[in-house]
Amino acid sequence: MVAYKPQYYPGNSKIAKNRKKYLDPSYKLKKLRTISDDDLVKLMGHRVPGEAYKSVHPPLEEMGEPACPIRELVEPTPGAKAGDRIRYIQFTDSVYFTPLTPYMRAWMGHTRYRGVDIGVLSGRVPLEARERDLEKVAKELVETEIFDPARCGIRGATVHGHSLRLDENGMMFDALRRFVFDKKTGEVVYVKDQIGVPLDKPISVGKPIKEEELREMTSEYRVDGVPFREDKEMVEFVQRLHMLRTEAGFDPNKVKGI
Amino acid sequence: MAKYPDKVDLYDDRGRVFASKVPVEALSPLRNPAMQKIISYVKQCVSVNLEGIEKALATGEVGGKWCIIRGRSLKLDLVKNAESIADSLKSCLQVTKDDDTEVKVLKGGKHLLVKVPAKRLNAGVEYTTGFTATAAALCCTIVENFKVNLWDADLIHAAVWGRYPQTMEPLGGNVSSLLSVPQQNEGMGYALRNVPCAHIALITKKNAMNAAALSSILEQAAMFEMGDAIGNFERLHLLGLAYQGLNANNLVYDIVKENSKTGTLGDVAISTVKRAIADGVIKPLEKKPSGYTAYTTEDLNKWNAYAAAGLLAGTMVTCGSARSMQHCPSVFIYFNDLIERETGLPGVDFGRVAGTGVEMAFFSHSIYGGGNPAVFHGNHIVTRHSKGYAIPCVAAAVALDAGTVIYTPEKISGVVGETLSEVPELREPLRYVNEAAVSIHGGI
Repeated sequence: MVAYKPQYYPGNSKIAKNRKKYLDPSYKLKKLRTISDDDLVKLMGHRVPGEAYKSVHPPLEEMGEPACPIRELVEPTPGAKAGDRIRYIQFTDSVYFTPLTPYMRAWMGHTRYRGVDIGVLSGRVPLEARERDLEKVAKELVETEIFDPARCGIRGATVHGHSLRLDENGMMFDALRRFVFDKKTGEVVYVKDQIGVPLDKPISVGKPIKEEELREMTSEYRVDGVPFREDKEMVEFVQRLHMLRTEAGFDPNKVKGI
Repeated sequence: MAKYPDKVDLYDDRGRVFASKVPVEALSPLRNPAMQKIISYVKQCVSVNLEGIEKALATGEVGGKWCIIRGRSLKLDLVKNAESIADSLKSCLQVTKDDDTEVKVLKGGKHLLVKVPAKRLNAGVEYTTGFTATAAALCCTIVENFKVNLWDADLIHAAVWGRYPQTMEPLGGNVSSLLSVPQQNEGMGYALRNVPCAHIALITKKNAMNAAALSSILEQAAMFEMGDAIGNFERLHLLGLAYQGLNANNLVYDIVKENSKTGTLGDVAISTVKRAIADGVIKPLEKKPSGYTAYTTEDLNKWNAYAAAGLLAGTMVTCGSARSMQHCPSVFIYFNDLIERETGLPGVDFGRVAGTGVEMAFFSHSIYGGGNPAVFHGNHIVTRHSKGYAIPCVAAAVALDAGTVIYTPEKISGVVGETLSEVPELREPLRYVNEAAVSIHGGI
C-alpha cells in the first residue's frame, strides 16, 4: 500500500476547511460542556436511567450465528453483541451558522462512528444505532463544539424550525418548546425530551455559542457569510463531478485523464 | 479470442485464492456455464408447500388469508404421502424418462423442491412454464392419487394455484417460484431482478459473500437481458460483476478485513481509494490551491468496479458491525459522497447508487411506508435505478442481520428460500462460478 493521507473534503474557503476538520476523525472535537449519562438518557427518552437495555434478539453468543466468513471477520459493536434495540437521536440544525449542516452530520457520523445508520431529511437528521452504541455517540454529539445549544435542537418529532428566524434570545423556533432560554443563567435548558414529553427536572445544555464564534466554526455556506460561489475550488469540484457523471453515462470509455 | 484484455484472480468466500489470471469474460453470464445453470435453475426450480395445500383443503381457506369457503373441505393426507406424490408428480412432469426432472421431498414431506425439465421451458417463450407446469401437474397428481371427484377438483385447483386467474398472481397459492409473474416486472428484461433479497439471503444460508454473489449474478445477467450490458457498457458490467459480486482479486474480502475490527464507513472509502491508487487504477490529476488533489483515471470502468467493491465492503463493515440490515441505504448515499469527495471521481454507477440510496432510505425507514431491506429487489420501484450495483449490497446486509426486524427474511421468503437452498449452485454460487470459469478460460 502506498502512503496515503486522506483528504476528506475539497475547497479553499474557511467553510471547506471546517468541513474537512470535522470529517477528519484524527481531529478531536473540542468538548464544550458536560451532560451526565443519565441526563442524556432522559433527553433521548428511550429508557429510564439505570434501566437495563431492552433487547431485540438474544446476545450473539447465546443465539449462535450462521456460518458466514464476513460475520467471523467483522467484529460486532457492543450493542450488537448484546442484542440491543436500535434507537435514535435526531437533530435539527438551524440555517443560521450552526456548526454542522445536515449533510455534514451524515458524512461526519460515518467517518467517526462505526455501525451507525444516518439519514438526512429536509429539516432533521436522525442517527440510529444499537442503544448502548448510540448513547456513546450521542454524548460526543451533544457535548462538543458541533452542538450549539441555541441553534441545534434535539428533536425526535415536530422538528420544524431550521429555516425560521431566530427569536429575541437567538433561539431556533421549536413548536413543542422543548428548550427554553434561562435569562438568569444565560443557559439553554431542556424541559422536555426529544419527543416532547415533559422532564421531571430541567436539563441544562449550557450557554449558546456567540454569533462571531459560530461564524468562524460553521460548515454552512451562506450568502451573508461565506457564499458557496466564492469558493472557486469547491464550485469547480461540483461542476467537474457533474460533468464526469454525465459523460460517463454517455460513454464511460471516453472519460480518460480528465 | 477475448474481447477484453482484463484478467482477474479468483478467490473463494474466505479470501483463499482459487485461480489466477482468468479472463473477465469467463465470468460473463454469456459465457460462464455455472451462471447459465443458475439462471436456468431460477426458471426451472419451483417449491411446493404440501403442508399448506393440506391445510387449505382441510379448512377451505383457499385463495388468500381469511378467504374461507364455508362447507367446502377435504381431508387428504398429503404430507404423509409426500413420497408417492413426488413420484407421480415427477412422471407427470417428465418429457422423457432420462430428462432432468427432479422432485425432492423436504422437511418430512411438508415441502417439495421441483425441477421442471428444461425441455418444457425450451418449448415455450415464457419463464412461467416452471410454475404453470408444476401447479397443473400437481393438481392432476392429487386428483389421481387421492381419487378426488369432479365436485371437489375445483378445490384442489384453488389450494394449489390460489385465486389465479381471478388475480394476476397466484394469491394464496401453494406453489411458488423465485420469479414473479411477468406483469409485475417493471420493464423488459427485469425478470431476474424481481427476486426479493429475503430469498437471496435464505437461499445462500445467510453467507454474506454468497448472498452478494448470487444477487450480483442475477442483477448483472438482467443487465444483459435489459439491454444495458452491451457495446460501450459491456465491460463496465463485466468488471462490476467480477469485482463487486465475485470478489475478484480478493478486493472485497481484503477491504473488509482491513476494517473488520474498528473501521468506519469512512475508513472503508479510504481503503478503497488506497487500493485503487496502489493498483494504478486512479492517479493524481492536479493539486488545487488548498492542497486538495483531484484524481483521474484512464479506465473509468475499472474505477467503477473498485468503487462498487468498496461499496459492498462498506455495507459488510457497517451492517456487519451493527448486525443490522437497515443501515444499507445510508451506506449507499454516504459511501459514494465520501469517495467522491476523497477523489473528485464519480461514485458507483456514476451517481445512480447514491440516488437509489436516497429513495431506499425513505422507503425502508417507515417514512413513506415501504418495508425493511429484505423486501427490496432490483425491480422495486425505488431500487431499480442502479444498474446492478445496489441490490447485491442489500442482499449481503440482509444476510448479516441478527434479528432486528419485525418481518424477518424467513417470514417474507416463506418456503421458497428454504427449499431453493437445497440447490448447490444457488446456495454456493461463488464456488461453482469460479470452477466453471476455470473450466472455460482456455477457450476465451
